[in-house]
Amino acid sequence: MIGFFTGVEAFFTGLSRIHRLLPWILAYILLLPLPFLLKFGISEYYVDLANRACLFILLSVGLNIVKGFCGQVTVGHIGLYAIGAVTSALLAINYQLPFWVSAPIAILITGLAGIIVGLPSVRLEGAYLALATLGLGESVRIMIAVTPAFGSSTGIMMIPEPKIGEFIFNSFESYYYLVMTCAIIGIYLSFAILRSSTGRAFQAIREDAIAASVAGINVPFYKLLAFVISALYAGLAGALFAHMPPGYLHHNNFTIIEMVTLLLMVVLGGIGNIWGGVIGAILVTVIYDQTKDYYFYQPLIFGIIMVVMVVFMPHGIGGVVKQAMIKRKFIENQEESRGSA
Amino acid sequence: MKKRKNFISVLVIAGMMLTALSAVAGEIRIGITMRMVSENGQKYGQMMMDEIDMINKAGGINGNQIKATLMNDECKSDKGVANANKMIFQNKVHLVVGSSCSSVTLPIVDVTAKAEVPQIVPHSTNSKITQKGSEWVFRVPVSGRFYGGVNAKYTGENIGTRIAYICAADAASQGDCEKMQGQMKAQFGADPVYVAQVQEKEVDFRTHMQKIKSANVNGVMIAALAETMARALVQSYEAGIGPEVRRIGSSSASNSPVPAIAGDAAKGVFFAAAYSHSDKRPIARMFNEMTRTRYGIHAPDHDFSQAYDLIRIVEIALRNADLELTNSSLKQDRIAIRDAIAGVRNYQGLASGPISFCSDPSPVCRDGNRTAVLIAYTKGGEEYELEVLARVTMPMDFGL
Repeated sequence: MIGFFTGVEAFFTGLSRIHRLLPWILAYILLLPLPFLLKFGISEYYVDLANRACLFILLSVGLNIVKGFCGQVTVGHIGLYAIGAVTSALLAINYQLPFWVSAPIAILITGLAGIIVGLPSVRLEGAYLALATLGLGESVRIMIAVTPAFGSSTGIMMIPEPKIGEFIFNSFESYYYLVMTCAIIGIYLSFAILRSSTGRAFQAIREDAIAASVAGINVPFYKLLAFVISALYAGLAGALFAHMPPGYLHHNNFTIIEMVTLLLMVVLGGIGNIWGGVIGAILVTVIYDQTKDYYFYQPLIFGIIMVVMVVFMPHGIGGVVKQAMIKRKFIENQEESRGSA
Repeated sequence: MKKRKNFISVLVIAGMMLTALSAVAGEIRIGITMRMVSENGQKYGQMMMDEIDMINKAGGINGNQIKATLMNDECKSDKGVANANKMIFQNKVHLVVGSSCSSVTLPIVDVTAKAEVPQIVPHSTNSKITQKGSEWVFRVPVSGRFYGGVNAKYTGENIGTRIAYICAADAASQGDCEKMQGQMKAQFGADPVYVAQVQEKEVDFRTHMQKIKSANVNGVMIAALAETMARALVQSYEAGIGPEVRRIGSSSASNSPVPAIAGDAAKGVFFAAAYSHSDKRPIARMFNEMTRTRYGIHAPDHDFSQAYDLIRIVEIALRNADLELTNSSLKQDRIAIRDAIAGVRNYQGLASGPISFCSDPSPVCRDGNRTAVLIAYTKGGEEYELEVLARVTMPMDFGL
């Protein structure tokens, strides 16, 4: 299995040397026939599942930026997701704006909200920051729940699907191309951020905020920036969720349980590991779906997974794979050097 | 080792494919999605599964077995929609049953309408469910539009028109609150004396109760889910609002946690529901005994009776439906089941009045139960007692 991952990595690294976008374009092309393979190979339902997995990938990759790259403990991400969803839905319903206008506005507004959620990070750390962000996230949900204009108890109904001309994204297959494209772009941008000077500043803050400050990094600015970028991801995921058929939002979609599930995706995949976040999102979505019939034991299953991961695999699946790949490369290098000697 | 891992991967994929292809010809597939997070929620679901099991043991429907799948939607719309999609597109169900919560049922109505699968609602009362105009949806419980009228009529005529309202944020309670206020205005020209919007799981009502106490009201309507309502009732007495101010409950006052948690504070609370366990009819006595023996329930609430009635209605409809039950006849079978449910007339079960459906996709035809029973608690606690104040059958177009 590790050999497979190493091979894939080597192949994609080779492609990226030709052009940095080439591996992503290839991955995109490879994912294009997936809905038809799922629909005719297993069931149409699995296309819907893939759509939900893509939404969670966007959320977990976004959360990884603030939590994994920058080391800020946030439990308010779900509130940002809610802001993106409700904003885009209301703009589409009340002002008849098309998805292509309402979603970008929603993303921007969620980015601004990200500043508010991130502000406590300037003064707070660890558990205190977690509590502050938890409060903010939950406040958003409560505000939606008690404000009739935001859907209140009955929720927001009849949110229109995105459309281009006469083509409406109202089937599982058509929506897949929208969410999958966003997920691929989201992952690519996440890598781009990680490899940029901004990403290095985030990582410096994660390792030691004081040392980063001494090295000339504007710590409060970069902390806020991490929250804003993370919020942009949440805003996009929220907008996509709102317009996904049947186009219905309710404040119960944004509770603390959803936030814990999101954290589980990141922890399971590996905090700070982008592919880990992707793997975590897919795994949690599939495990949740396959254990639907055992609803009595679902919380227990997820609870045990989380405890086991934290105790035995603190760097998550992504971390384990990464370690194994490094180890394999090391052994190969050793063997090569022995051979040449 | 590598071979073993490959073998496991093949097994997992094969398992997923088998699950997807598990739709077997010759069986009637029913998918149930409900709120299975509370003790009672689990029992409602269990009772439906047990009843279906008993139908199967008795020979099934015209020789065909029913295969039922029960899923938990946790009262969350995204999970309910995912469940409905799984049932429809993977399990290829002939009929969707669900959900308990109006906020989950509302989006599922769109899913079943688009996929053209009949849906029958066991508990959700929000009037908007049938107002969407789907020709695939049927509702067994009494719609919120009827409850509001019954509560308002009794309150205005027997208690007074100075009413305060505490409305929790869940869809059903909001619907009950709005309908009651609307009917008080329509029937008696009475505006609310005080209205408080509270959280679905609010714990502190003291400030509101103090304000209500000083407002000199005739009654307080508490529209909330069971546990929340029980807390509000207790705190209303703690705030010094005496028993002369009548407490009016929303439909969830029927749920057993209300008297169990509220204790003496439940005494005198009246509410409109679909069923009272003090019903003396033989069918009701048998049902009470069945729930006591099987599930250890002292007195079944109307969500139990509605779940039971739903299964009986589905049984009648399935027996009347002309079903082929082959893989290629799924679409026709779904239409046949829809038409058979629409053909159910004057079903006399546990509900206080007859349940009838018809084919027009309007609330007039799809809100099958129009009879609400007005009930009051005469004793709180685990061994609570109820009395029936009135039975009211509303006109079909009431509240539209």
